[in-house]
Amino acid sequence: MSVAEATVAPARPAGRVSGRHLLILPALAVLVVFFVAPYLNLLLISVMTPSPRAAYLRVLTLDNYARLVRDPFTWSVVWHTMWLGMATTALSLVLAYPLAYHLARSPRGARGALMVLVISPLLVGVLIRTYGWMILLQDTGLINQLLRALGLRTVPLMYNNLGVLIGLTHVFIPFMVLSIAGTIQGVDPELELAARSLGAGAWRAFWRVTFPLSLPGVIAGTVLVFVLTVSSYVIPSLLGGFTVLTIPILVVRTITELFNWPGGSALAILFFAITLGALWVYLRLAGRTGRTT
Amino acid sequence: MASLRLQGLTKRFGDVVAVHELTLEVPSGELVALLGPSGCGKTTTLRMVAGFDVPTRGRIVLGDRDITADPPERRDCGMVFQHYALFPHLTVEQNVAFGLEMRGLRRPDVERRVGEILERVGLGGLGRRYPRQLSGGQQQRTALARALVISPRVLLLDEPLANLDAKLREEMRFYIRSLQREFHITTLYVTHDQAEALVLADRVAVLMNGRLQQVGAPEEIYHRPRTPAVAAFIGLTNLLPGRVTGRSGERLVLETPAGTVRAAGAPDLREGMEAMLSVRPEHIELDRPGEPASRDGVNRLRGVVQERTFLGSLIDFRVDVGGGVLLRVQGRGGAPQRVGEQVSVSFDTTAAWALPRREG
Amino acid sequence: MLRRGERVWLNAAVALVYAFLLAPIVIVVLAALNAGAYLRFPPEGLSLRWFVAFAQSRSFTRSLAFSLKLAATATVLSTVLGTMASLWLVRFGGRLRTTLRILLTAPLAVPGILTGIALLIFFYALGWGKTGFGGLVIGHTLICIPYVFLITSAVLVRFDQSLEEAARNLGASPFATFRRVTLPLIKGGVISGAIFAFVTSYDEFNISLLLSGVGNTPLPIQLFDYLRFSFDPTAAVAGTISIAMAVVVVLLTQRLVGLESLYMGGG
Repeated sequence: MSVAEATVAPARPAGRVSGRHLLILPALAVLVVFFVAPYLNLLLISVMTPSPRAAYLRVLTLDNYARLVRDPFTWSVVWHTMWLGMATTALSLVLAYPLAYHLARSPRGARGALMVLVISPLLVGVLIRTYGWMILLQDTGLINQLLRALGLRTVPLMYNNLGVLIGLTHVFIPFMVLSIAGTIQGVDPELELAARSLGAGAWRAFWRVTFPLSLPGVIAGTVLVFVLTVSSYVIPSLLGGFTVLTIPILVVRTITELFNWPGGSALAILFFAITLGALWVYLRLAGRTGRTT
Repeated sequence: MASLRLQGLTKRFGDVVAVHELTLEVPSGELVALLGPSGCGKTTTLRMVAGFDVPTRGRIVLGDRDITADPPERRDCGMVFQHYALFPHLTVEQNVAFGLEMRGLRRPDVERRVGEILERVGLGGLGRRYPRQLSGGQQQRTALARALVISPRVLLLDEPLANLDAKLREEMRFYIRSLQREFHITTLYVTHDQAEALVLADRVAVLMNGRLQQVGAPEEIYHRPRTPAVAAFIGLTNLLPGRVTGRSGERLVLETPAGTVRAAGAPDLREGMEAMLSVRPEHIELDRPGEPASRDGVNRLRGVVQERTFLGSLIDFRVDVGGGVLLRVQGRGGAPQRVGEQVSVSFDTTAAWALPRREG
Repeated sequence: MLRRGERVWLNAAVALVYAFLLAPIVIVVLAALNAGAYLRFPPEGLSLRWFVAFAQSRSFTRSLAFSLKLAATATVLSTVLGTMASLWLVRFGGRLRTTLRILLTAPLAVPGILTGIALLIFFYALGWGKTGFGGLVIGHTLICIPYVFLITSAVLVRFDQSLEEAARNLGASPFATFRRVTLPLIKGGVISGAIFAFVTSYDEFNISLLLSGVGNTPLPIQLFDYLRFSFDPTAAVAGTISIAMAVVVVLLTQRLVGLESLYMGGG
């Protein structure tokens, strides 16, 4: 045996080093080729020239964006989409918060059962849930049957904004609950007890102590629900009928019905930009109020 | 059996040097305790021996084989982990059989050896249980059995008693010692508990800040520490700064803020050198002043009792001996001295140990 | 903490929201079991006639079979890829960890319908045209990977790595260690991930809408087309099947990893 002092680190067998990276490679490849590349392709096509004879002409132009930005119709759809997003987010926050609070403050055993109730709707396809709402909300649906039986006037609950709002809120409440319940659970219940021992009523103790401490969860939840709402397609198209037009619906129509790929791509890219912009404004506002309270 | 030699072992994590130029031998069949405070690099050293961390520099030699670059599964080191690392999805038998199966032993041989070792560690009849159904001590013994059954060339123990309650810990110390003697297995034992190291080890290696401070028999480490850091880490001691002013026979003469003291000392201490004097509290006696005069071989200082703490069988005193020095003294229970009382403090010149001031 | 009077109000509000959450689901099941063509009060009695109608409808049974085949394929692919990726990321991620975690979960964060559009155009650009089954498998795998990745990561983060070290120490090769120690211990997470992937694919709508073609129609697309023209309860039977599946999934996941780990455990 040689006793010469080894001065360099003994190299790992080469196979071990490269071998472990084979773990990430397949997933990475799938994502890069079938996710990143398609979106880059979308970006590229959004600056190509539309043509009635081919999918597009390989001539670079910014006209697609210019046309969209100048068209008041685009902005009415954008506004409608954002309005739906904000209304759904606000409504689900109001409905989800008590649920999250109740869930977080339940004893361990009950929490498991309640989690099942919250998660189950998530696992039933959106289409099925929408179908359930159609049975309830249509003009001859259960709710209007009930109204009629009571001798009241029937109310149009579907094929309008109201129906879309109900459907979207229903779909996104579980996401909101899950985001908020985590942070409430991290808030020590003794803090509320302390506030009450200092003379605050139940409502004030909650409003001044627990709610501010749960804000990170509220912000995460509202961001998530807003993003999911403005991106949704099935519910606005089924419960909204032809009266409700959102950006995703418009993108799909532009591409699959008008065959205007560059225009649809540009609208898709514009949609990302507007959504990110809205989030940026929201997070700045949230950050500011977070600091002042 | 084989000896384990670490030669200039160094491990860096980024800019942090966890272990620095560690050279240490565990002779065949001996138990060496690697002792040090948490974060001193002792666990890193053990992980390098086991092959879980790759040394930045240096070599690990087991018997006549350099294992520095071997993967963990080809090192033949049995290891007992701090939290035992028993496979939760396998029974006690299956846990213990795991290593034998990996070595390709035939089923009947595996069963026989597993049965033998479980019997030996007192777990006969518990083989069908799962780890979570065992007490802490039983888990500990399962981990030992699993490491020993493969007849490893070296046994590595990482704080094996840290998760047991005080009473069981003491019991297991002697148990591990007797198993190690019986199997006559080369053992590297990592611990931060000095009592454990002193009781168990043939030799103790004190590691601090990644550097080896001293290696020696337990008594040598306790009575003749080579650096102030080792003296302070092992047991309780009083450390007084001083300067060597001369020799008196076999003893050194030191000038300390509390007065002149004669002491035994490290051989490399010479006149004029800065030194540190270590005197253990249990080696100091308190008397009323004016009692039997100074005998030869005894140091005597005057002081005033500042604090007195009752500890049951002992009483802990802090005595001001002048020069800003507070000596800690342990008197037997019932020692009569009161706070504020004038006392005389005495200790044998052999009980005082002088060592070089600079960290080694 | 609330006193009894306050708790009553909270419980009442919470009960109403739960009723809202469960209403459309219960209604679908009732519609499937109802004897009449319309759900009416009082109901016209129980009947399995719509189940029979569903079983006799060629288009429904064909798309059900297609959906199951598609979901099974996407589940196998995404479970293998997602589990491998999470193993790598939790163990060796290093500096790339954050970036890759974002990339692996990105398909959840962007609108599915736009991913469908992007894929559709991309496939045309590659000259694949409507790729049918292959294209759908790719799209579904993409959407399923994040679920598998998130769930197995949550389990792996809690995994005690000294168990693997113990196995290596006892002489097991890296592969034997994975097979004998790691895999049996993370099995629950991998299975839940696979179950989630299956349900996600089975219910996936957006990508299927854009990538499916004649003869390649998953059940949700079949339902979508059906619902535009008719409300008859045959669709409710498909819904009931999906609901039964969801119930099984939730109960299995609760047993295997605990639902709470989905929002707490991942850290």
